[in-house]
Amino acid sequence: MLKNIILTAFTAVFAENIIFSGALGTSTLIIVSRSRKNLLGFGLSVTYITALMSVLTYFINQALSFDEKSYIYTPLVYIIILGAVYILTLLCMWRFAPEMFGRMKKYIHISAFNCAVLGSLFLISERCNTLGEYFIHGIGMGLGFVLAVYLTAIVYDRLYSEKAPYSFRGYPLLLVYIGILSMAFWGLSGYTLKF
Amino acid sequence: MSNCNDNNNSFKKIIKNGLINKNPILVSGMVIAPVIVLANNFNDAVMLVAAFSLITFFTLLISSFVPKSIVYTIRIILYTLIGAVVYVPSVMLLEYLMPEGVEAIGIFFPLFITNSFIVTRSESIFFLETKGKMLLDIIFCIIGYDAAVLIFSAVREILASGTIGGKITGMPSSFRVFEHPFGGFILLGLFAALFRSILLLIKRVQK
Repeated sequence: MLKNIILTAFTAVFAENIIFSGALGTSTLIIVSRSRKNLLGFGLSVTYITALMSVLTYFINQALSFDEKSYIYTPLVYIIILGAVYILTLLCMWRFAPEMFGRMKKYIHISAFNCAVLGSLFLISERCNTLGEYFIHGIGMGLGFVLAVYLTAIVYDRLYSEKAPYSFRGYPLLLVYIGILSMAFWGLSGYTLKF
Repeated sequence: MSNCNDNNNSFKKIIKNGLINKNPILVSGMVIAPVIVLANNFNDAVMLVAAFSLITFFTLLISSFVPKSIVYTIRIILYTLIGAVVYVPSVMLLEYLMPEGVEAIGIFFPLFITNSFIVTRSESIFFLETKGKMLLDIIFCIIGYDAAVLIFSAVREILASGTIGGKITGMPSSFRVFEHPFGGFILLGLFAALFRSILLLIKRVQK
């Protein structure tokens, strides 16, 4: 049981890292990695939302499983539930942790409405069967996103340094860097290139 | 007369920004996930740009009518809700026109609902302008995105398998690495650097 939990979490964080293996949320990563100041808060809020939404997604998928054409309106249902979670979270923070609310209100919308969160829900729906798997994958994917943002943020200044050639400085170099990391993560999952 | 010239310059600037100076893929790094994963062949890229263009254009157009008096917390939910509603006829239309294409882009189709044009750029750029300018800006940003994705996917497919749209080009390249997301990241990085170099060269020549 414990072995399965660890294996599922490891897979979600490393082998199937949401950025390095699926590129989901890369645009958000580019925005967030600019500042290391709110990295922890942002990471925690993404993980919280993916974990909570993954549990709710399990019940949504159960409820919609009778309809073959449900994929047409499933995103709408996900967005409605995500919107409700987002408002409830903001209300709870405003009521019980006003300081945290003040710090996070600027970027909590990006942590809720992005491709990483919505993409996690679709991937989890494809790969998981039980409520436990949904939950662990949800946490793992959130943490995987945090890991990717952290690995990018720590070299951000160097990638945008004036020492880098002008053509590559910043965004192009950032993509090459993520590509190299991505290759390492694919290697970690046992993938080998066939030449 | 001066007003007319100002307008012309402003429109030229909008067009140039969308297509070149602030190209969403090659300069701004917006909505790149589907490009990294799916744009490894021209056929899927065509489907990708069709899905992106439909969802982004109609979502932004309808969202621009959401009153600013509504608090931002609710507005952002409304934008994505509108995106999810626009997704329904978009997926039905494209399924009717290109059923295999919809299957090929898989989860990336609904992910356009939360793309950064809608979530992060709608309020900071598009909705600050007048309706006419906004429409022009959205259209040229979408064209800039689509053009970059199609060119990128064609080059990537040629490099990876020597084909374009599944047809053999006769080029002896088979760098399979470019079929994968890591190859996509690296190639897009090289594309962005090349694009910047070309822009710099053009500026120097013009001076």
